[in-house]
Amino acid sequence: MSAPSKRQTVLVYLLLAVVLIVFLTPIYLIASSSVKPSPIMFQKPPAFLFTPTLEHYESLFGMRPFAKFMLNSLVVSFGSTAFSLTFGTLAAYAISRIRHKRMNDVAFWILSMRMFPPIAVVVPYYIIFKTVGLLDTPLALIIVYSTANIPLTVWLMKGFFDEVPMALEEAAAVDGYGLFETFWRITLPLAAPGLAVSAVFCFVFSWNEFLFALMLTGSEAQTVTVAVMSFWSSDAVQWGRIMAGSFIILIPGVIFVLTCQRWLVRGLTMGSVK
Amino acid sequence: MAYIRKRNKKIFGIFLVPAMLVLFLTTIYPMLYAGYLSFRSYDLAKPFVPRVFVGWSNYREILTSSEFLHTLIVTAKLMAMTLSVQLVLGVGIALLVTQKLPGMGVARTLLLVPMMISPVIVGLVWLFLYFPELGYLNYFLSFLGVGAIPWITSTNWALWAIAIADIWQWTPFVMMGTAAAVQSLSPEPYEAAMIDGNSRWDVFTRVTLPQLKPVLVSLMFLRAIDAFKIYDIIFVLTKGGPGDTTEVLSLFIYRQSFTFWRMGVGAAASFVSLVIIVVLITLFFKSLNRDDYA
Repeated sequence: MSAPSKRQTVLVYLLLAVVLIVFLTPIYLIASSSVKPSPIMFQKPPAFLFTPTLEHYESLFGMRPFAKFMLNSLVVSFGSTAFSLTFGTLAAYAISRIRHKRMNDVAFWILSMRMFPPIAVVVPYYIIFKTVGLLDTPLALIIVYSTANIPLTVWLMKGFFDEVPMALEEAAAVDGYGLFETFWRITLPLAAPGLAVSAVFCFVFSWNEFLFALMLTGSEAQTVTVAVMSFWSSDAVQWGRIMAGSFIILIPGVIFVLTCQRWLVRGLTMGSVK
Repeated sequence: MAYIRKRNKKIFGIFLVPAMLVLFLTTIYPMLYAGYLSFRSYDLAKPFVPRVFVGWSNYREILTSSEFLHTLIVTAKLMAMTLSVQLVLGVGIALLVTQKLPGMGVARTLLLVPMMISPVIVGLVWLFLYFPELGYLNYFLSFLGVGAIPWITSTNWALWAIAIADIWQWTPFVMMGTAAAVQSLSPEPYEAAMIDGNSRWDVFTRVTLPQLKPVLVSLMFLRAIDAFKIYDIIFVLTKGGPGDTTEVLSLFIYRQSFTFWRMGVGAAASFVSLVIIVVLITLFFKSLNRDDYA
């Protein structure tokens, strides 16, 4: 496209400024409200300059076992990430290397597994976990989140494996490397950036999840998203605590966008954009 | 060649089967179990009533209840509201951030942030904005001459309140996909169109849009699949209220299963939702098999 004229340039920047203000204000509100003293929480016009307070963070970690819930979230997120990377990476390698006309169907079948509505399987999960005694344990969530994270890992890693030249593996085979050795010592190290990207995707997805955590955990394995929601009541003090919790929860997602945005298109549009 | 083929089979066995087995156990099995439950009377609130086979009666109950049909209509309405706005806004913003001007990369990155926020946090911050009497949204709108709107407490506005939160979170997704597609468009048709003296709008509707159409169709199917599953934002903002104005399918399943403990009815509704989502997923994958865009 041709470069815009001066008038058009001004117009583009003006419109963009409006867009940015609209889309970033809620995020600014979370950050500022989390350190805003309760009496001015809803003050109008909003106070931009105020002495920040850590009272909400103190009450967040002081009054309720929030630290425990954070630990639960970390255990679940790391657990599901490790689990999904192990199974997803292996499957992605197979899909990338096998030349067979049915392979596309297998890839699509795996990919479709993450598109099913969580609410539709939560009833069976609830009954199954209740029967086997896994209700309200981190393990239940690790298993459940892997249903979305394994397909995501397969999808992402397949792209990275596709870029590793077959010639390298053939050379390794000539040198007497076995199948596993080739994969472990040649291919996987070359696809290492993919592992990092997949890990971050899986981690953020698990960390952000709410519905399963709400229905499959109680007081023991509760995660941060459920905990923050449970602070809900209508007075301003609660709002400070909610915003402090919300700020903590959104940190991984923001880091993710800033570090991995190159792969967001591939990870989220599922092949819509080639 | 023979070596490769032999090795392929080995890879298939060793590498692919574990993941498929796990996915079968964690996804297909629960779905089949939901199918099984949907033909039973499974009432956790009445533990002494035998859990017997009841045929199609759970399905008959939901498909003839006006409540269930109402949730389908609300879900469809919400999808129409969010998808249409996200499409127009997303494409518009994508055209802005793909201009060859300094700072566009940074703007694009910043705009991606809402997408990666937990939906429950999205719900909470919009609840903060909508909050009756105190929320900032009506205060901001008053500068534009808009009177106070009872966002989450009025039957006229509650669905829009949810739609706006969803639009805020997912317009960046449409923007991101469209921007990536715009940047891979070939420049030749533009040069030709410019030489022919077309206006910018003509170039957009006659050259850009037709080229983007396949991508936009796929992106909209992905949005539709997601919008169909919406739960968290509604759970935080309205819990389906006021009355039943924002009661979507997910909330119906939740209420039947975990408020009334009627697992059989909940499972039947779940299965109906699975059928609908399978249709959407199939349409999405069909939309990817295209030759007109590479």
